[in-house]
Amino acid sequence: MTSDSPLAIELVDIWKRFPGVVANAGATLSVKKGTIHAVLGENGAGKSTLMNILSGVYRPDEGQVRINGEQHWFHSPSDALASGIGMVHQEFRLVPSFTVAENIVLGASEKIIRRSFIEKEVEQIAQQFGLAIDPTRPVWQLSMGERQRVEILKTLWRKAQILILDEPTAVLTPAEADELGNVLRKIAEDGRTVVFISHKLHEVTAFCDEATVLRGGKTVASSLKVEEVNESDLAGLMVGSSPMISERPPYQEPGEAMLTIEGLGTLDDRFLPAVKNLNLTIKSGEIVGIAGVSGNGQREMAQAIAGLRPITSGKVTISGKDLTNAPPSERFTAGLGYVPEDRLGVGLAPRLTVTENAILRSYKNLRKSIFLVSEQAVNYCKEIIERFGVRTGPIDEPIAGLSGGNLQRLLVGRELSGNPKVVLAAQPTRGLDIQGVKAIQDLLIDERTEGAAVLLISEDLDELLTLSDRLLVMHEGEIVKEFDPTTAHRHDIGAAMAGKRDES
Amino acid sequence: MKRLVLVRREQPLRGGQPLSFLIGLVVALLAGILLLVASGHNPIEIYERLFNSSVGSSNAWAKTLNRAVPLGLAGLAVAVAGSMGLWNIGAEGQILAGAMMAAWIAQIGEGWASPLLIPLMLIASILGGALLASGPGIARAQIGVNEIITTLMLNEVALRLLQWLIHGPWKDPESRGFPLAPLLADEARLPKLFGRAHWGVIIAFLVIAFFGFIVSRTTWGYELKVAGSSGATARYAGISLNKKIITVMVLSGGIAGLAGGIELSGTSDRIVEGVSGGYGFAGIIVAALALMRPSGVAAVALIFGAVQVGGLSIQTLGVSSSVSTILQALILFGAIGAGVFNRYSLKSVKREKKGGST
Amino acid sequence: MNEASMIGMLSTTVSFGALLYLACIGELISEKAGVLNLGVEGMMALGAVTGFLVALNTENPWLALLVAMIVTAAFASIHGIFTVVLGAEQVVSGLSLTFLGLGLSAFFGKSAVGNPPGAILSNVDWGPLSDIPWVGPILFQQSPMVYFAILVGLLTSFLLTRTSIGLALRGAGESASTVDTAGYSVVKIRLAAVATGGALAGAAGAYLTLSITTSWQDGATAGRGWIAVALVIFGAWKPGRAAIGALLFGGLLALKTRLQTFGVNFSPILLSMIPYLLTIGVLLIISIRARHRPSASPSEIGKVYRREER
Repeated sequence: MTSDSPLAIELVDIWKRFPGVVANAGATLSVKKGTIHAVLGENGAGKSTLMNILSGVYRPDEGQVRINGEQHWFHSPSDALASGIGMVHQEFRLVPSFTVAENIVLGASEKIIRRSFIEKEVEQIAQQFGLAIDPTRPVWQLSMGERQRVEILKTLWRKAQILILDEPTAVLTPAEADELGNVLRKIAEDGRTVVFISHKLHEVTAFCDEATVLRGGKTVASSLKVEEVNESDLAGLMVGSSPMISERPPYQEPGEAMLTIEGLGTLDDRFLPAVKNLNLTIKSGEIVGIAGVSGNGQREMAQAIAGLRPITSGKVTISGKDLTNAPPSERFTAGLGYVPEDRLGVGLAPRLTVTENAILRSYKNLRKSIFLVSEQAVNYCKEIIERFGVRTGPIDEPIAGLSGGNLQRLLVGRELSGNPKVVLAAQPTRGLDIQGVKAIQDLLIDERTEGAAVLLISEDLDELLTLSDRLLVMHEGEIVKEFDPTTAHRHDIGAAMAGKRDES
Repeated sequence: MKRLVLVRREQPLRGGQPLSFLIGLVVALLAGILLLVASGHNPIEIYERLFNSSVGSSNAWAKTLNRAVPLGLAGLAVAVAGSMGLWNIGAEGQILAGAMMAAWIAQIGEGWASPLLIPLMLIASILGGALLASGPGIARAQIGVNEIITTLMLNEVALRLLQWLIHGPWKDPESRGFPLAPLLADEARLPKLFGRAHWGVIIAFLVIAFFGFIVSRTTWGYELKVAGSSGATARYAGISLNKKIITVMVLSGGIAGLAGGIELSGTSDRIVEGVSGGYGFAGIIVAALALMRPSGVAAVALIFGAVQVGGLSIQTLGVSSSVSTILQALILFGAIGAGVFNRYSLKSVKREKKGGST
Repeated sequence: MNEASMIGMLSTTVSFGALLYLACIGELISEKAGVLNLGVEGMMALGAVTGFLVALNTENPWLALLVAMIVTAAFASIHGIFTVVLGAEQVVSGLSLTFLGLGLSAFFGKSAVGNPPGAILSNVDWGPLSDIPWVGPILFQQSPMVYFAILVGLLTSFLLTRTSIGLALRGAGESASTVDTAGYSVVKIRLAAVATGGALAGAAGAYLTLSITTSWQDGATAGRGWIAVALVIFGAWKPGRAAIGALLFGGLLALKTRLQTFGVNFSPILLSMIPYLLTIGVLLIISIRARHRPSASPSEIGKVYRREER
């Protein structure tokens, strides 16, 4: 494909704001017809929002969307679909109990479904693009890679000329990812256009023609020819630099080991290995940061340490005590505070009141025989609210009305109220406003000063660089590299996150 | 062009539910007026009789309280299960099971004195209901079987069991043609409190208060609420879900069983098919209106009791007693409708024009 | 046991089975779309009384059937609106619907108790077909509602598996967000499904008073609505299997009153327990199986679907 190909997609000066955040700030995108174009950026850079605007899920506040030179206004995904744009989301939109054929045909124009006819057609298209699939199989039996093929077939069935794939290889094995690359090649050769949202640099260089990099809602590099750039450059463009919020805490000598993890192994929800032979030690008085693209086992590791996910191998020791098989409540008493990623679902119960949530981990200590002493519970809750600055309505009301920042303060406060020896925080500042972020970060720093061992998992590299004493990078379930945050280069961290093995 | 949408409120309105209930009551009564007029009756006359016969005299109150007993206990049974997110639709059958067990003890204990017989009957009735509910509880905890269906089906099984007993082993040889179970001995009947009202009123009140206390004040009750809110959160807090599910279902069944025992011993001459009188199903509505809280169950049960008593008495004015059933259903629908506004507010939103910008 | 009484029993099996099947298919459609409607008993009663009253006043059984179906569809829509649009609990709303339906039917039917029917749906005359030994009386001397039931069953099966709207309906009950993304209105699909369920329950009720009992009294439905609910589960939400179940349950109902004549010394009451115990058994099997594969029961039952803000 030459640089004279017409532009299939042109996004000009796109702005999109949500309450509290500007997702796209004048972003642009130009994609030539018949090419595979990568859209790169970190989490929060605005890629998904931009693609959602292109596929009709969101409407831009400002800016133009041009398809094949003509301006379009999409009010819904159906509008975009009608203009030939098909999107394959990260979370598949499939009905598990339906067959492949049924899922493909759902919502398409056919009124009467002639099963064998459709199945044959599906097979034909599948063959044409190298997407081997049995149209009669029910989707629940399929692997993630196979399900993705169904999603792609859905768009092809509707004669989409533009395909958008959102982090498609996040759920694939390396072999499946290569296959996908071949499929996309065939689709592009057929004259269609492919937009590929990704973090994974080696895939971008393997099968994309051009790349656009987004950062902070803006386009920082447009339509770079992939064959002319290298991965480190791309990584550097992605991570860039942004204003820091908290200040790096002063150096302090770490104490003895508080959390020791040896040979940890665990499976994810699909029973595939998520964490493989992980070794980690955190000492009292230090913050250890875990960097990594989401989906590389961080979540599962945190759940395993907290006792919410069964371990397939390894040992978890807190302050000398072996807690490998202990239930979550025992770990809390032994001094582990856990701030889960999943705030309203695991960490907090939305229908319960503030007080009821505040005592979730320690209610057994607030009682006299079988009675929950409500005075004690209320006091406990009030203490947390005061100490951690949680702003709530009446504390006997359900917590559903609290803002994200206050919910998080409540959650963190509760976990820290036991004066834990080890604090495990997974994405603690995600989705919070500036004040909320600072508050939580300050809390973690205070804990460190008090001598706790803090394990901080975050997608915000700046946060990790500011707060961590040691920075570990996790990739595909293992710790692949350790960095000193005061001297590390962002390029190198980004490269390690993207799976590039150390060549030196 | 504008259209209306329901937008979720940040915080539900305080005191919303009792208000919704009252609105529901008013709506139901108004609809009732329409119904009566449409069928050619004088609504004022009918309503007057309705009120007088249910709350207009101490005799009326006695009848209403008696009715409120099984309604309240059934409502409590459903509410206890409901506060953990479990649906006990089998209260009807559990009431029957309780009544059956009580009747059986009454038969065995022929000649025993009241202070011994009645407590035994009531304990047996609790066991009967608990036993019937244990199956669905275990099935739900261990296999994940939907308790709605299992409890529902067992209603019918329990009913037929009772029918079989009345037609078969318990058939009173004196009863010709129409099979009847034997008369309850005087010793097997709950003594009266005042007028027609029997001691079951006190027992029911105590039980409801007891559970209200337990759910709100003990760690067990707290764990119940956590488990009902989210299984993942419960595990996180160290609560064993399986044990809780079984315990709650068994308790719920026991409470319903007690209702059966009291109803038999307090108001019936002998056990009959209709001893559960629809209380099991009405109890679900009562619990729903009380938002699954024991504290609200008593109040709602009283009102439903009044409606039922009133419904029976207007029959002599030529109106079908089904008016009370209709009113109970309308109260619920009215309350749900009003309750929507506790959680959502109505907003008028402009349809977006072509052009993209907001 | 002589031939005539055997034929009579099988014939009754078919007619009772058709009655249960009609109501069952209606509930099946509703549940497949994700809405549990426990108001079947009330809807059936309403259809029964409406059919009877209209027949009394117009002496036109077909009009009576039509009106019964329309009225019950509208009645069911109360449940639909409360649960699908307003987000009320399906269990509670459905039970209230039963209360309301039973209450209203007793109320309006009071005047008609003991009346002879104004019109009936008499058996269809298939001519020489009805003279075939055995098969004739069993299959070809039935009320038109039986054939209607068979037709409905076949149509529903076709609809659910072979049409796009059927696919969308099943999808609404399994993965509402997927169907929403595909461009359908989940709310509209569910409301339509509930209304259809109502219409069919009403048809079953009208069948009762226009063909089977040809009279009205309070409690005419006698718990058959609950059997229909059980039947949906017994048939694992499939119209074909539900038909077999309908014949089985219908047969048990028919057998109930004939045990004596067949010289069997088994209590008819205990016999009538069997459908419910069987249903529990089937549900246990479905649930045990569901640990390794998606459950046969529609996953979205009981959940309210609200699309996220754009």
